[in-house]
Amino acid sequence: MSRRILVVDDQPDLRLLIRLTLRALGEVAQAASAEAALAQLAAGKPDLLILDVWLGEGISGLELCRRLKLDPAMAGMKIMLLSACGQQSDIATGLAAGADYYMVKPFSPELLVEAAAGLLDS
Amino acid sequence: MMMMHETLSPNAPRTTDEERRLQVLIDLDLLDSAPDERFDRITRLAARLFDVPTALVSLVDADRQWFKSRVGMPLSETPRSLSFCAHAIQQDDVMVIRDACQDERFATNPMVLGDAGVRFYAGSPIEIGDGVRIGTLCIVDRVPREFGEDQRTLLRDLAGIVANEVAALELKAVAERERRSAAALRALLEHLPDGVLLFDPEGRTVSCNPAAERMFGAPCQTLASHPAASLIGMQPKAVARHEGNGQRVDGSTFAAEVSIAEMLLEGQTHLVATVRDVAWHRAEQERVRAANERRHDYFRTASHELRTPMASILGFSELLLKREFDAATGRELIDIIHRQANRLIGLVNQMLDLARIDSGGSAQMHPAPLDLTQVAARVRDGIDDAAQAARIRLQPAAGSPQVLADPLRVQQALANIVANALAYSASDSPVTLAVASQERAGRPGVTVTVCDRGVGMTAEQRRQVYDAFWRAGALPDVPGNGLGMTIVREIVAVHCGQVEIASTPGDGTQVTLWLPQAGAAEACAEADR
Repeated sequence: MSRRILVVDDQPDLRLLIRLTLRALGEVAQAASAEAALAQLAAGKPDLLILDVWLGEGISGLELCRRLKLDPAMAGMKIMLLSACGQQSDIATGLAAGADYYMVKPFSPELLVEAAAGLLDS
Repeated sequence: MMMMHETLSPNAPRTTDEERRLQVLIDLDLLDSAPDERFDRITRLAARLFDVPTALVSLVDADRQWFKSRVGMPLSETPRSLSFCAHAIQQDDVMVIRDACQDERFATNPMVLGDAGVRFYAGSPIEIGDGVRIGTLCIVDRVPREFGEDQRTLLRDLAGIVANEVAALELKAVAERERRSAAALRALLEHLPDGVLLFDPEGRTVSCNPAAERMFGAPCQTLASHPAASLIGMQPKAVARHEGNGQRVDGSTFAAEVSIAEMLLEGQTHLVATVRDVAWHRAEQERVRAANERRHDYFRTASHELRTPMASILGFSELLLKREFDAATGRELIDIIHRQANRLIGLVNQMLDLARIDSGGSAQMHPAPLDLTQVAARVRDGIDDAAQAARIRLQPAAGSPQVLADPLRVQQALANIVANALAYSASDSPVTLAVASQERAGRPGVTVTVCDRGVGMTAEQRRQVYDAFWRAGALPDVPGNGLGMTIVREIVAVHCGQVEIASTPGDGTQVTLWLPQAGAAEACAEADR
């Protein structure tokens, strides 16, 4: 069975980069905002959510992460925060919001594949 | 001391404790003072009583004797080396020279040999306080005389009266000094900006200065009925520095810094509290804290904004290096890298620009007389895309009014506003730039209004638009870094101008830039007044 990954990022170039990077791992869908992500999640739960923290106006990635981790319907879905907020406090806040992994932008596609595969296999 | 001995004439001896004696004499403040009837009446009396031509109150100074009072003496002072009195103050009792010509100490004294022709001298030391002899009351005659025991007693008594008068003067001077010092101390307390309060052992306000009355909003008598603890916001006890809140008698509070010291007053322990209103100081601290927070936020956001294009550049280049792509995809990815690298350098340049304007202020400006219509035309001509430039409509002002402003900075600000207007409106809609004279708060100036028919802005967006890195989310494909309007605001600020935005969502946006005609230096100075 093919794994499903949802990429949420407000930057089109970065969505493309992440999709290209992860396409070997499974089926990669994308959303440009938290609201768009929620609509897609309602239609079906992916195995892994790659989530940016700052998503422009609207719900932030952190907030979305918190909500999804409290939602029983989303149980079992892994969440990776992928953000250009790279301070130690940012990482701590992200993990406190329930993220399974926190990766800082810029990132190495190779390491992203490794981390995503690790989350999918665990 | 050797020098002093060498210059001393044997005829002018020094008292044993000369230094102290001279200090007492100086402190009395009698030397070179105006004639005083209280001494003159004594010398007159002495001259009459003893039937002599000359009677003196002589004060023996370091190098002279100066006459506080004189009868039959044309000189106001004579050198100490010639002084009889300098000898007289060496002895406890009256010194009598019946005939100076017969006395080896004085026989060759110029006062004896010369015109003065002194033959007889009798002087009684004027002794004040603890045995200090400041001079003599003396009588002098040009003929030798006898001087009996009764006369000695009389002269001694008169010298005693002189000493009493000196003591009375000194007492008066001390009282005056005390009065002045108390007045100075009171003036000091009254003008001290800090509130000073004296609490008795029960914690009642006994006394306070006007600053404390102003601070707590009531006269001292009223403060007395308020417990110290409620006024200063702490139990009164000795403390070096306590930060808290003072409470006025009307119940309102103010940020206060209190220090309290113990003191003994009439055998009882009292407390002296110094209260400083630190509201301004705390507001300043808060301002600094807020500025630091803004700076921290700025750097946090800036680092995020720099990392984001870097993520594309590093990510795509790594993919290109490690994976195989067909030629078209490869080219597309290189195009992204190129675009993001451009975005990155644009961001860095704008951040540096902003930092330069921010740190340089108006000192970094190069103001020149400027026609804003020409600036608007230059902005239009600076747009690379001909189709975009063609959307610009210029509406020049009548009489082409000028302002004193930095040409490049103003052009940069206007270009940023125009770029937003073009980006956030339909690609075939016009953008007008209207220039007009306008007086604001009595100051002449010129406005440029940039008007588009685009997506418009909400009230919240209009507030946020000046925040660094903030970008309107409505059209995500619009390139930019969210620094344009931040730079506009800074440029307007260093010119002491104004910028405002009027807009309705869906109905277009109108940004008005106003610059004072007289230039920043004058306008800012006026605004400060």
